[in-house]
Amino acid sequence: MPNGQVGRSVPRHESAEKVTGRAEYVHNLSVAGMLHLKVFRSTVAHGRILSIDTSEAEAMPGVHAVLTGEDIRKLVAEPYYGPAFHDQPVLALDKVRYVGEPVAVVAARDPYVAAAAAELIFAEYEELPAVDDEIEAMTSDAVVHDELRPAGTFPDLKHLDGKRDTNVALDYHLKRGDPEAAFAAADHVFEHEFRTQPVMHVPLEPMVSLAVPEQGGLTIHTASQSPSFVRSEVARLLGWAENRVRVKVPYLGGGFGAKLYIKLEALVACVALILRKPVKLSLTMEEQFYTITKHASTFRIKTGVNKDGRITARHCAVYWNGGAYADIGPRVTQKSGFTAPGPYNIENVEIESYALYTNRPPAGAFRGFGIPQLVWAYESQIDVIADELGLDRVAIRRLNLLDETDPQATGTPMKDAPVKAVLERVAALMDWDGPFDTGQGSIRRGRGVAVGFKASISPTTSVANVTVAADGSCSLAMSTVDMGQGSATAHSQIVAEVLGIRAEDVRVVNPDTDVTPYDMATLGSRSTYHMGHAVRLAAEDARAKLDALAGEVGRDGWDGNSIASLFLARYGMQAGTITGSGTYMPSYAKPDPATGFSDNITPFWMVGGTGIEVEVDTETGKARITKLISVGDLGKPLNPRIVETQLSGGALMQVGLTMLEDMALDGGQVTNASFSDYKIPGFADIPVEIVNDILPTEQRDGPFGAKGVGETATFGVAPALASAIHQAVGVRVTSLPITPEKLFRLMQERTA
Amino acid sequence: MRGVEILRPGSFAEALDLLAGGDPETRPMSGGTALILMMKTGVFQPERLVSLDGVEPDYGAITVTQDGGLHIGALATLSALGRHPEVARLTPIIHRAMPHLSNVRVRNVACVGGALAHGDPHMDLPPILAALGADVEIASAKGARSVPVEQFIRGYYETVLEPGELISGVSIPPQTGWVSGYRKCTTRAVDDWPALGIAVALSMRAGAVARARVVVSAATEKLTRVGEAEAVLLDGPLRPERIAEAAEAAAGAVETMDDALGSAGYKTQLLRVHLRRLLTDIAGGESAT
Repeated sequence: MPNGQVGRSVPRHESAEKVTGRAEYVHNLSVAGMLHLKVFRSTVAHGRILSIDTSEAEAMPGVHAVLTGEDIRKLVAEPYYGPAFHDQPVLALDKVRYVGEPVAVVAARDPYVAAAAAELIFAEYEELPAVDDEIEAMTSDAVVHDELRPAGTFPDLKHLDGKRDTNVALDYHLKRGDPEAAFAAADHVFEHEFRTQPVMHVPLEPMVSLAVPEQGGLTIHTASQSPSFVRSEVARLLGWAENRVRVKVPYLGGGFGAKLYIKLEALVACVALILRKPVKLSLTMEEQFYTITKHASTFRIKTGVNKDGRITARHCAVYWNGGAYADIGPRVTQKSGFTAPGPYNIENVEIESYALYTNRPPAGAFRGFGIPQLVWAYESQIDVIADELGLDRVAIRRLNLLDETDPQATGTPMKDAPVKAVLERVAALMDWDGPFDTGQGSIRRGRGVAVGFKASISPTTSVANVTVAADGSCSLAMSTVDMGQGSATAHSQIVAEVLGIRAEDVRVVNPDTDVTPYDMATLGSRSTYHMGHAVRLAAEDARAKLDALAGEVGRDGWDGNSIASLFLARYGMQAGTITGSGTYMPSYAKPDPATGFSDNITPFWMVGGTGIEVEVDTETGKARITKLISVGDLGKPLNPRIVETQLSGGALMQVGLTMLEDMALDGGQVTNASFSDYKIPGFADIPVEIVNDILPTEQRDGPFGAKGVGETATFGVAPALASAIHQAVGVRVTSLPITPEKLFRLMQERTA
Repeated sequence: MRGVEILRPGSFAEALDLLAGGDPETRPMSGGTALILMMKTGVFQPERLVSLDGVEPDYGAITVTQDGGLHIGALATLSALGRHPEVARLTPIIHRAMPHLSNVRVRNVACVGGALAHGDPHMDLPPILAALGADVEIASAKGARSVPVEQFIRGYYETVLEPGELISGVSIPPQTGWVSGYRKCTTRAVDDWPALGIAVALSMRAGAVARARVVVSAATEKLTRVGEAEAVLLDGPLRPERIAEAAEAAAGAVETMDDALGSAGYKTQLLRVHLRRLLTDIAGGESAT
């Protein structure tokens, strides 16, 4: 019986702790005898290591030890890690592949001594030709890895095992219908290239890990989004049973995909075991830029259209700049690759999507997992097509969008993915058919819309345990990491709903792999759906056991207030525990290797729509967003207020990536790796008016009708802004970010 | 950043003594907002810092001078400057600019003397002080001297301060008959270093510009007085065509720099547009009174 816990805007459990500075973070954690590490990094983009001289650093008073890749190799014969490829060494071995790659590490009691000593390490390299650009990487003679080493966990990477002389870390292909014939028959064919820049997640808490060697095992305290993966991957590297590695994650000061898989954990684990001391590595903000980034991309999109605006054919070639190590890049390439044609009903489609190694810092998961790069291209191009054909920009989308019964390019139906409703809602909120003031003088105004969609990651597993104590109080153990998205609160609401108690009374246990069960990771907006189901099942299991207990003691029923009395009746005192467990893994059908088709590629789709109104100063190129509308299809919200902040947060983050952020690289060296030079939006950059709209929908197979929302508002921001700018001043931007100077130059070229 | 010795003199005179030797490894520190960043990034690694924090309250005082000008102690924080009622009354340009200068955490500790001594062209206060005709008062164990702000900045991160010298204060002459304005232009986030700062002060007599100071910074190697624009404005009314001509003259004369905030050419365009807009605003304010 519903008790109103789900769907209620329960205040976040951790808010008071956080705003009063009491919340636990790894940065504040210190253990007796702990050594601080400082990493010595490569200064060349690609080179063979000739020598590493650590003698001066070792001689510095206060330095405990200096270790290189060769020292790691004595502990772990094959010290390479990664979720898709075992390609990333714990410390560089034989070669370095990007500027900033960890080459050696200093351990000292005083972090300042460690930092000073790291500056006394000298490495000699034989420089090798480097490759920077993703298009160049397709054919470049410079090869980042001599031989490809897929991890074996992904079947679609097996054919790459041992391959040489290539930078392609995954090629995904899909073909539907007869694109060649359709292009030949089309009334118009449009070809464009859209590019995105490398950016960083910049969590305000930089990456940090602390490893403590213990009798027979190792505890790693780490700011990670994937404690279960850290445990299994570190155990694999060490050749240990998983139960010897304990991974604990307190709150995270932001993740956004930066803290997934292994980041610092393998290094601190190895160093702690070699030195037999607890060791802690806290990156600086600058060092984060050398650790993980978002894929820069080039998307060549070719579209065939009938004279009435119906899209008949589309060819998508997407090139992802993965940097020196694959991380999860091949998954970005495939998972986002298959949605490259957009949420449109197109009979003839061909997709090629390539993950490429280059000599840049590695790229991995980033809020949106490749989707914003794709939406940028397909939603920009459809505007160009509309303009060329003299069609309204909303009308052309309306004409081509997929219905819920239509199969998407892969063949998977768009079940519970109301793309058209999202578009209509954005249009209604913008009063699209109403009059619009296009400005005057040097201030010109425009507006734009964009719709994007995303598949969830699949097939992945979540496990949850719900414990009911003898006094009736209840706790939830899960390895979902609350990094600010409010997952602990939302999942507690599910437990409370099932057990008939208040969400505020459910205690959520932070991830600790000795205590909290397996979860694939906190990524890709998967937790609400996957962990939500696991938590529901765990709570239902606990409820069934409470029913049985009530039966044993001769009660007709029980409610949230009478649980303690059941234990008392059964055990004669406040004693006993009930544990409910739930495991969830959605069904999935692998794409056919030959065609790329699958009728069940994702457990659910997420649809996001953006509407933007902008003012452009024609004399300076400065654009100012006056209205930012985000419409999310997220099923029934478990917690409407948290969902709203997910929408606004995702959209504003994407505003930064669209207008401000750009990792500047010079010969592979990041030249703006600090908040002085790498600007993210501040409060003064926030649009005048922000509208967050939850589309009234239901994910019918979701927990209580819900699904994920962490990325939904990121999809359409860049193309909607470019569209609005085009209406305002008549220029079309095709590469991100959209800076004032870029706009000014385009306007000048147009006048000239 | 390695350990550093911090010396805490009991008086301004003692601070001067500690610095008198001119040892390059001994540096004064007031708010430290710029210095500590440079030390953290390893750009600068002094062995000793002479802390001026709270050294003598007088050196942080803001007072109205007998002739109706302002005297600002070198150790007045930017927040104190921004909040001071006499500063708001006598030099509204400073009061209005202050909320857009850096951020509140920096303003609460950064000091007026440090903002000048740093010599970074990307600072908002120096061009404003230059437009107001302010002088920098410099003290050393050997004596005192005074230099106009405009001449105080000698180059990129370079001032006329000699080893052993400290800024003791800034004096702003009376502003009677002057109108002034500042425009900070950022090209990335709103809260950012300026890509361009323009400060203008005009003295009007009988509807014509009698005296003018046009100062440009951030886009240039150092804060720069733009005589070419002033010459256009002098002795005529502040009318749109003259304003446009002055802006054009500035764009033609000022040598802008390429950096991460924009190309030199773009900054010249920003100068053209923003100087015109600033002068138009001043003209509007002038005609309104």
